[in-house]
Amino acid sequence: MGEKSTLWNFEGDEHLNKASACTIRSFLTTVKENLNQNDDRPVIPLGHGDPSGFPSFRTAQVAEDAVVDAVRSAKFNSYSSSLGILDARRAIAEYLSDDHPYDISPKDVFVTVGARQAIDVLITVLARPGANILLPRPGYPLYEARAVFSHLEIRHFDLLPEKAWEVDLNGLEALADDKTVAMVLINPGNPCGNVYTHEHLQKIAETAKKLGFLIISDEAYGYLAFGSNPFVPMARFGSIVPVFTIGSLSKRWMVPGWRLGWILMSDPNGILQKHKITECVKSYIDISSDPSTITQGALPQILKRTTKSFHSKTLNLLREAADTCHAILKEIPCITYPSRPQGSMFLMVKLNLPLLKDINDDIEFCIKLAREESVIVLPGAAVGLKNWLRITFAVELSYLEDGLERIKAFTLRHTKTE
Amino acid sequence: MENGGPIRWRFGGNDELTKASAITIRGVLNTLMENLKPEDSRPVIPLGHGDPSAFPCFRTTPLAVDAVCDAVRSAKYNGYGSTVGILPARSAIAEYLSKDLPYKLSPDDVYLTIGCTQALEVILQVLARPNANILLPRPGFPYYESRAGFCHLEVRHFGLIPERGWEVDLDAVEALADKNTAAMVVINPGNPCGNVFSYEHLKKVAETARKLGILVISDEVYDHLTFGSKPFVPMGIFGSIAPIITVGSISKRWIVPGWRLGWLITNDPNGILKNQGIVDSIVGFLNISSDPATFVQGAIPQILKNTTNEFFTKIVNTLKEAADLCYDRIKDIHCITCPSKPEGSMFVMVKLNLSLLEGIKDDVDFCCKLAEEESVIVLPGVAVGLKNWLRTYKRHLIRSSLWLSIGMPLLDNSKLLGWALENAALNVCYFAGQVFGTIEFGDSQIFGVGADFSVDKHQ
Repeated sequence: MGEKSTLWNFEGDEHLNKASACTIRSFLTTVKENLNQNDDRPVIPLGHGDPSGFPSFRTAQVAEDAVVDAVRSAKFNSYSSSLGILDARRAIAEYLSDDHPYDISPKDVFVTVGARQAIDVLITVLARPGANILLPRPGYPLYEARAVFSHLEIRHFDLLPEKAWEVDLNGLEALADDKTVAMVLINPGNPCGNVYTHEHLQKIAETAKKLGFLIISDEAYGYLAFGSNPFVPMARFGSIVPVFTIGSLSKRWMVPGWRLGWILMSDPNGILQKHKITECVKSYIDISSDPSTITQGALPQILKRTTKSFHSKTLNLLREAADTCHAILKEIPCITYPSRPQGSMFLMVKLNLPLLKDINDDIEFCIKLAREESVIVLPGAAVGLKNWLRITFAVELSYLEDGLERIKAFTLRHTKTE
Repeated sequence: MENGGPIRWRFGGNDELTKASAITIRGVLNTLMENLKPEDSRPVIPLGHGDPSAFPCFRTTPLAVDAVCDAVRSAKYNGYGSTVGILPARSAIAEYLSKDLPYKLSPDDVYLTIGCTQALEVILQVLARPNANILLPRPGFPYYESRAGFCHLEVRHFGLIPERGWEVDLDAVEALADKNTAAMVVINPGNPCGNVFSYEHLKKVAETARKLGILVISDEVYDHLTFGSKPFVPMGIFGSIAPIITVGSISKRWIVPGWRLGWLITNDPNGILKNQGIVDSIVGFLNISSDPATFVQGAIPQILKNTTNEFFTKIVNTLKEAADLCYDRIKDIHCITCPSKPEGSMFVMVKLNLSLLEGIKDDVDFCCKLAEEESVIVLPGVAVGLKNWLRTYKRHLIRSSLWLSIGMPLLDNSKLLGWALENAALNVCYFAGQVFGTIEFGDSQIFGVGADFSVDKHQ
């Protein structure tokens, strides 16, 4: 890059560059740069969260048909209302109402360009001078990026590995003050693979109410719970504390590229309305881009017609993959594995560094693993826990087994021999 | 209350957000819609909004539809793409745009966005450093003002000169600019004026930008939609004089604004944008933002390659007929003048002579009463920065003898009779025919499907 010239009055924005510096992508790029081009074996990608490329994880036929029908109908080429096409909002409301004590109104649903935009909207709306937000550690770094960008102070509360990654409620209370506007909860969990119980979620709701902040419940992996804990939507506790739920088609239907998400507002007591939050959400959505009308048009069909068997098949695949991980990882001495995943597509494992020679941290582990075994995993530093690793198990089973065996071989090779 | 005492909630709204979104075309149109009389059984004629996609004569080419279906069925585009857009789409767009440029764009000069709207979000945010300002045209497209307001980017307005085909008042641009001015915006073909800038004028704009040390944002969302004497000239041609950021999309040329596929292009053979850190910031913004649907990106190479000249010509001819009709009819309306015949885009600006009208105090009043009495929506000029003017949308003014065939299952290949609308000040006539499609405004639909209506002519 050349020298900045005084002839030109425009310049890039440092603040923006800072906010966008630490993304999962940037960590994975660093790791991937170390792949050995001469290794003939296929690269096993256990670092990112996108199984859509694998044949076992192809989306429902119904979903593909619905999108094709929508575009052929010529009824969905026009601009839509910024909050979303009414039929799409209605379809999401009905879909979510299945699991809800009362019927959700379409007026409480806003369609967004994937969960990513939902995060953008909520962080932007809540940011005020002096305010702070409570984020989980480990967590999903887009929250950090957007909070930095919006000048919203970040405070991290811990998730406890020894308690199946439950929220450290005492820690949470100690962090909050009168400027805390919200906390973020990711359930089912990314990166931890946890699924919270009803009791735990209720305690969180009561804590939030006591301290005066609202809850952003990131349920991008909603319903992807294959263990003993059923998935409980946080919206159920909307009468205790206002809840914004973030959801999308991306994970349950394996179509992150379709960019169709939503925000659900659960606030029967009208608190968000009274504090002008609702108005601000709508205003910001009004000056932002909208999701493709094609997918919105297809949404009612997708949500109504996707069969239970498609969803069960997905859960079975994930469960089998998680079991495979468990079987192999528990045999690796330098990896400790505090909690079996119950949902989502990820699990976190801790590196026992003293047992390893010439590997000093998680990033070095991942770089060498890529170079020697052509396997990609995510260094825990990317999600806030240094010297841990995040492993994606939503991968074709044969690849997963191969990848885990290679990890095992790698660790054996690098284990100290005394 | 559950626990006896009132709860102190710590979160609250942000006034700036509500202010930023207040002046949008949608907002003004919603106000006008509130004046419509529900008991008026005539169909509402929407000449305020810029979206012809509901009308059969403006249906997109089946080749674009096929391309999207192929992309979906391939199952190759269900995953995340690169934040700047998938390479095949960027390459295809680079090739498509390079046809009209004296140099070749690289795929790295192309950034895919969620419609042209997001392209604007990107560039305005990237330029919004503390104390920076940007020069916008008046009349213009109010989304610029809204989004700049949100980013705390100061806006200053320069005039477009009606009697000179709405050319940029370059003297005003120079007078407004100072050392904090980062950029100026030109919209070509013009929204709301319907003008097309000449090669010479655009070159002067680039030279002025260079002199002032600013970049040019060239909003070419209506690119190639020209039907007058002046051809469309992409501002990127002058990229070696001053850096040009072009924003565009498939929304208008392919009549698919709902698909949300746009682009931001860096036309900058001298690499100034890179040196000044603009490129890094564009990538940074896209890294923390959402993207256009991958399957629409996947369809782009096919859409750009296969769309025929016949399709483009047909659309442009339809626009030309509508523009001619509009201009001719307006000449006969005594209280409205059109200083410059529209040559491009989908709009025309006309001036109200209020002294000839009784009981109408300004453009907003005119539009409210027009909505109420004749169920016709036109946009009051104040929404685009020119009070007591109107922006009217000439799309729907189709000659009665224009026959179109549509393939809608409802009607079994029957044809749509076009209709001509004249402004309420003279006479109104509708031809018998069938109306299709729906347009949504907020939560209501203002156009019915399959409605038959009869001839209704009055003096």
